[in-house]
Amino acid sequence: MFKEKTTEEIQAASRIAGTSKGAVYNNPRYRAWFYQLAMMLGLLYFFYSIISNTLGNMEALGAKTGFSFLSAAAGYDVLMSLISFDATDTYARIFVVGFLNTVLVSVIGIFFATVFGFIFGVAHFSHNWLIRKVAITYVEIFRNIPLLLQVFFWYFAVLSALPGTRESLSLGEAFFLNVRGFYFPRLIGEGGSWVVYASIFVAIFGVFFLKHWAKKNQEKTGEQFPVFYTSLGILFGLPLFFALVTGFPFTIEYPVLKGFNYTGGITVIPELMALSLALSVYTGAFIAEAVRAGIQAVPHGQTEAARSLGLKENRVMSLIIVPQAMRVIVPLLNSEYQSLVKNSTLAAAIGYPDLFNVFVGTALNQTGQAIETIFMTVVVYFILNMIISFLMNRFNSSVALVTR
Amino acid sequence: MSVIEQQANNDDIIVIKDLNKWYGNFHVLKDINLNVRKGERIVICGPSGSGKSTMIRCINRLEEFQKGSLVVNGVEMIDDVKNIEAIRKEVGMVFQHFNLFPHLTILENLTLGPIWVQKKPKDEAEATAMKYLERVKIPDQALKFPGQLSGGQQQRVAIARSLCMAPEIMLFDEPTSALDPEMIKEVLDVMIELAEEEGMTMLCVTHEMNFAKTVAHRVIFMDGGEIVEENTPNEFFENPETDRLQLFLSQIL
Amino acid sequence: MREFKPLPAQPAPVKTQGAVAWLRDNLFYSPVSSIVTLFFAYFFIKYSIAMFDWALLSADWTGTTEKDCTSEGACWVFIKAWSQQFFYGSYIESEIWRINLSILLLLAVIVMSFTLPKNIRLKVTIPAFLLLPFICIAILDGRILGLTHVKTDLWGGFSLNVLMAAASIIVAFPFSFLWSLGRRSDMAFIRSVSIIFIEFFRGVPVLSLFFMGSVMLPLFFAEGTNVDKLIRVWIVLIFFMSGYMAEVFRGGFQAIPRGQYEAADSLGLGYWQKILLILLPQVIKVSMPNILATFVMLFKNTTFLLIIGIPELVQTLQTALSNSYWLGGHTLEGYLFVFAVFWASCFSMSLLSSHIERKLDTDNRN
Repeated sequence: MFKEKTTEEIQAASRIAGTSKGAVYNNPRYRAWFYQLAMMLGLLYFFYSIISNTLGNMEALGAKTGFSFLSAAAGYDVLMSLISFDATDTYARIFVVGFLNTVLVSVIGIFFATVFGFIFGVAHFSHNWLIRKVAITYVEIFRNIPLLLQVFFWYFAVLSALPGTRESLSLGEAFFLNVRGFYFPRLIGEGGSWVVYASIFVAIFGVFFLKHWAKKNQEKTGEQFPVFYTSLGILFGLPLFFALVTGFPFTIEYPVLKGFNYTGGITVIPELMALSLALSVYTGAFIAEAVRAGIQAVPHGQTEAARSLGLKENRVMSLIIVPQAMRVIVPLLNSEYQSLVKNSTLAAAIGYPDLFNVFVGTALNQTGQAIETIFMTVVVYFILNMIISFLMNRFNSSVALVTR
Repeated sequence: MSVIEQQANNDDIIVIKDLNKWYGNFHVLKDINLNVRKGERIVICGPSGSGKSTMIRCINRLEEFQKGSLVVNGVEMIDDVKNIEAIRKEVGMVFQHFNLFPHLTILENLTLGPIWVQKKPKDEAEATAMKYLERVKIPDQALKFPGQLSGGQQQRVAIARSLCMAPEIMLFDEPTSALDPEMIKEVLDVMIELAEEEGMTMLCVTHEMNFAKTVAHRVIFMDGGEIVEENTPNEFFENPETDRLQLFLSQIL
Repeated sequence: MREFKPLPAQPAPVKTQGAVAWLRDNLFYSPVSSIVTLFFAYFFIKYSIAMFDWALLSADWTGTTEKDCTSEGACWVFIKAWSQQFFYGSYIESEIWRINLSILLLLAVIVMSFTLPKNIRLKVTIPAFLLLPFICIAILDGRILGLTHVKTDLWGGFSLNVLMAAASIIVAFPFSFLWSLGRRSDMAFIRSVSIIFIEFFRGVPVLSLFFMGSVMLPLFFAEGTNVDKLIRVWIVLIFFMSGYMAEVFRGGFQAIPRGQYEAADSLGLGYWQKILLILLPQVIKVSMPNILATFVMLFKNTTFLLIIGIPELVQTLQTALSNSYWLGGHTLEGYLFVFAVFWASCFSMSLLSSHIERKLDTDNRN
């Protein structure tokens, strides 16, 4: 009784001390307000001074402001464009051209970086000593050499050492590789080609249906249907079958040597080749490390438990190891993909017309509107990274573990 | 072939003959000979590093051996994927650290083997799984993930996971040594029930001597990679034949 | 009572050690693996012999001009002739000792941070590190110290990559520490400003930051202020690094056990005392591997400077390769040399980083 009373008294006393007797400047809550106010004022002053300086400077330079330049004719051509473009088109259109080229090189880079990364990451666990060493060597060499140097190496040392147009390396008179680029045939659809296109959609639809059916069938009978190989068969077989039935309604446009250059077919310019090679080899080395870390993070007991249930080795891998490794790998992949997109701006070094190069490079120079062009470009990279981040986080939440 | 016939004549389900194993130059198992009758329950004990875990891990080929022979349920253990798979289907294993698959629910942990190895329909596999979850007294946890369960619960799930494969033989590799004291009993109770009701062939590496006294038909003592002594529980604990076992018993009892 | 006599250990029947066993277990354990091994070995031997011959046996080592490269092999004369440019850029030849001095000072401070007695280590090395960039700039520029003035246009080569990276990360250090504290703060406004800052500098391509530094930054200063290009790039790199390093420190703060915070609070330490005396030393220690990794990234990114026309090593190589006195096609030699320089620096730092990581791991276990 006596004891309880004292504690209550002490508590009451300390409550009073905390509220009324303490000095205002010692109260954590007021202090927090003060710090934040100070920071806000500091920031306001900072922005005020740079904005007023900028306005003053621009007035002195007589620079234009605003986004009206977007509708003006650009007056210069770009090396490569996925949509039609000539010098009379606007800056707005050149922005789209650059954007598409950035997306193109990023997608190619991400695809091959992932392929290289997974191959070399898994090779790290090979039983064969030589394969292990090759995997380690790849990772340690390519992630420790600056990306820009690698871009230059592929562009100036490898691709420019290729033979000239007349001495092109060729494969079956359809694929050509020379100092000006890589050429391969293009399929052009004719009258009945819609049947084949439609069959591709049907095949994709069919694969989804097959997957669903196989699951239901397993639940009923217990049989495991080889979904993967059947799907591959459907995806390639069905369009091929319809192509044959309709008498191949395509013309193949082969690249042909005319004068000093190849025309027709599809051309991959060396700038695109060098940049995507460098991006995928460099990022692939980082992804290989991520894959290695992911697989290493799965305890050996998991493999043992799966084996002792009688699972075959490939099932141990696909049902137990990979799903668990993915939860380590996916967040790392997310950041690697984002840096790949950011690093694709190195296009400027070799003249591949990506967004950064055509906009911050050329358009800024021509119009002098630094703030607008840099702002627009930076926003695009933010959006691209947000998209990657969103997709990878969706993927990540599907592989994340539930604990507690 | 001759080994298989000989084995079919008596009802030994595991026949280990002159088994030797080396890690590099280190001789871990020395001339192990052990026959296990169908339905027999064996407890294996010994100091750490005595090779007891290694021996039972040889039985389902989690460890390879270099010399000797091993026949499980009529199938000889040789370097052949088919033989290894056949043996693993008949042998269930419970690990010290449970080794539940953390990315799968409890129910999925239990149905994984039946669906992918025994090719059972999902419904049937789930019904079996629920039956065994009730046996180990945690049917209400079926849809949770391993990380959400206590150690004792996880180990009971691990036992149920092995049982779902309807194995002929169960191997227990120190099933209670990673558990908190109050959880050991719940796991041992499940194991005792399993022994008494199912008549399952069991090999259990453990230091729970009360468990050995209650369930085991035979207790084996290993040291330095060899079987030093084997006997009925009574004789084993009351009249140890060797000084080595006497010393061991005096240290753990 | 029977006495237990252990069986003697026998040697393994199949050889499990020695060269033959190693080859069998690692290279020829199955037919497929043997084929793979032979395939790789064939190409490796074939190309390494050719490479060895080209790079060493039939290479030209002596001489000073293009004409001295007569053989089929590599022309290392090219590298020799340009080596001063590669390392020091166009810095005035008689003043090169100043670059060497700066690099020596940097190395000295690094060595100090590993070897000084623990009780004074942080107290000495942190101020030394923070002063270093400014001392180096004074030495290299020369005006304040009464030495010959060397304009920044002449600075270049590999020493610029090294010093630029070091100067940026060092100055970014205190800023990033503040940003990471801001991001952990309970004060909503400070927290949001920190998050925006950090995520902006992590999310933007470095190249666009360089362009901001060279095109936009001059607009931000008051009229008539003329800030040197190299200084502007330095400012940009500091901002860039402080975004990345803030995240490294945030990871470090999270790695410190809760008990450390509680113990510091229960001793009655104030906020800054708690941060500086208890947390900072531990955060730096656990973040060391990541700090090094971030530094390697920054170091590699200093090559990007060539895009805004700063003659760092890769730019110098491009200049050398297009020099009209050296048009003998020395691309391969040039790239191999620059590869080797960067690779050796980055690889040794990543080795150091994993060494520290392992050491931290064992420290934690004990």
